[in-house]
Amino acid sequence: MLKCTLNGREVEVKEGTTIIEAFYQNKIDIAHYCWHPGLSIAGVCRLCMVEIEGNPRLQIACNTVVTEGMKVNNQSAKVKEAVKWGLDFHLINHPLDCPICDQAGECGLQDQYMKYGQYDSEMAEAKQKKHKVVDLGPRVVLDSERCILCSRCVRFTDEVSKTNELGIFNRGDRAEIGTFNGKPLANKYSINTVDICPVGALTSKDFRFRQRVWFLKDAETVCTGCSTGCNVKVYYNREGLFRVKPVYNSEVNGHWMCDEGRDVYKFVNKESRLLDARVVSGVKSEHMTAFEAAKRVGEKLKGAGKTVGLVLTGSYTVEEYEAILSYFKTEVGTDRVFHWINNPESFEGFDGLLLRGDRNPNTRGLVQAMQKHGLTAQWKELTEALSTGSIQTLVVAGPENQVWFPDFKVKVAELSKATRLIWMTSGKSSALDELKGEVTLIPMKSYIEKSGTFVNHTGRAQTIRPVTSIVKGALSLTEVVTAFRGEALQGSEVVPGRSENEVGRGRIHNEFTLSRGTW
Amino acid sequence: MFKLSEDGLKYVKSELTRYETKQSAIIRCLYRAQDENGGWVSPEVIQHLSEVMEIPAAQIEEVATFYTMFNKQKVGRYHVQVCCTLTCGMLGGRELTDAMMKEAGCKKTGETSADGLFTFSKVECLGSCDTAPMLQINRDPYIESLSTEKAVQLVRDLRAKAKGH
Repeated sequence: MLKCTLNGREVEVKEGTTIIEAFYQNKIDIAHYCWHPGLSIAGVCRLCMVEIEGNPRLQIACNTVVTEGMKVNNQSAKVKEAVKWGLDFHLINHPLDCPICDQAGECGLQDQYMKYGQYDSEMAEAKQKKHKVVDLGPRVVLDSERCILCSRCVRFTDEVSKTNELGIFNRGDRAEIGTFNGKPLANKYSINTVDICPVGALTSKDFRFRQRVWFLKDAETVCTGCSTGCNVKVYYNREGLFRVKPVYNSEVNGHWMCDEGRDVYKFVNKESRLLDARVVSGVKSEHMTAFEAAKRVGEKLKGAGKTVGLVLTGSYTVEEYEAILSYFKTEVGTDRVFHWINNPESFEGFDGLLLRGDRNPNTRGLVQAMQKHGLTAQWKELTEALSTGSIQTLVVAGPENQVWFPDFKVKVAELSKATRLIWMTSGKSSALDELKGEVTLIPMKSYIEKSGTFVNHTGRAQTIRPVTSIVKGALSLTEVVTAFRGEALQGSEVVPGRSENEVGRGRIHNEFTLSRGTW
Repeated sequence: MFKLSEDGLKYVKSELTRYETKQSAIIRCLYRAQDENGGWVSPEVIQHLSEVMEIPAAQIEEVATFYTMFNKQKVGRYHVQVCCTLTCGMLGGRELTDAMMKEAGCKKTGETSADGLFTFSKVECLGSCDTAPMLQINRDPYIESLSTEKAVQLVRDLRAKAKGH
């Protein structure tokens, strides 16, 4: 450990720590653009200037290693002056189109300007014209004029995604970010470049112009896109969810998440949800609340024994599996519980960075719960039982996100052979609407609306908390079991509107964690 | 599609072993490829080099666009680079360029004459101020201490030379 002094405060840091890391570890503000803890050091923005005692010139904090007894200051008049003029240079060709810029409200330039700038520009020259609205790839749009050439995105494609699409072309004030010969930025992690862009140069096509960031609240949760279980932050308001960004967790996802995981919120919003329960019997179709429908199902299930089957997907929490499995084993009296694996061919797949072939957040939790209850039934037994008619009532806890269940329609057709089908799902689907015979559809809560635990592929248990309520009256599996028993629900679980300033454990309050989702 | 000659490939392979990092060899290999491609670096050239050198194309493009000595547009057989920085500029470098362009039939710099022989560029200091005004054709030795007459005559001579061949 080394002793050093930051702004007059004596602290201890590990050997090899750079000054900027020492500042972050001790939660002291320091201006910077190009430095990012998940990327290599570039030293191009010159904003993290610090004064080191005994050194006549200012040094950049990101590329200077702390030595024993070092006295560092980033509050002196000299440093403030340097940062201020550094900012002025960054803003020479910046269009200052904040009113129409998507980054406004979470922009590094705005934040730093309010902290360190606040000067009248002395630039008399006309601004350089550069390319605007460049379609970089399927998910990212570039505005070169806003770019400050921090090179974070270039380093990301070089070091993290290792796809090397981006580069800085030309020189001086003509320099621009771009791709070689118009090749699209189409890697599976491309929106991370939008996250780490400190200005509005790179914007996400999905989120562009959809909502001003200051109208959104955010809360931390876990991505349900695959069995990796990336830590994420969802941004929402009363209309629903608008975007997902990664949250740093060195054990799970580091600083990043995949582009497909960012689409998960779409299946949570009202337009893709099943809004109320429906009981279909022959030609008759009746709408009712989820609780009422579940209660009616429960009356028939109790003690029905082995004529009842249960199909589970890996989309639910550990607590929910426990509730429904113990209910089926003890109160229904059946051990015919089947695990619906959505894509058996690519189930073990892994893209080398984060995305796994198992597109369920809690497969491991489900397998563990089934083992605990001694349930070993195989899928083919279900197929047989359905054709022989030994299973008459089938309860299905369907997938939350049907997009990642390529066999969804096939399975719906297969499972609808049961005389009585009870399908619990959060998403609506035409395949379910077309079902004939005796069918009960029960709307379920999505991962945004309930609490519980997901176990990821390494066996790491991560808890989620309710963020907001989207479909009123939807139930979690635990609540469904309560309704099956005919008991009253214990109030609503949802705590609407968590504070936007809530920062997760181990995270640091600074201009980037507060406003940008990642550092 | 552009492909390096066999000698060119050998050259690139040997350059790759010369430096600590492969990236250091980019400039020399670009020079070689530019010469083999008739004086300019096309996207195909970069793509080919990227495959031969096993360096991402974007990184080679970064180098090629940073340095002005790599032409990103097609140039004529004679790429005439006239110095127009201070000394040459004061001694008539720009006027001299205009006269040469008129003689060669080029309307503006960067444009290749109809016969495909000449492309003119105004460049920054080439470091030969004592013999201003001066110019350089392709990567050949400097042509110095020019006057408008001499420069126009130069264009005529080059054209005659090209026709003679």
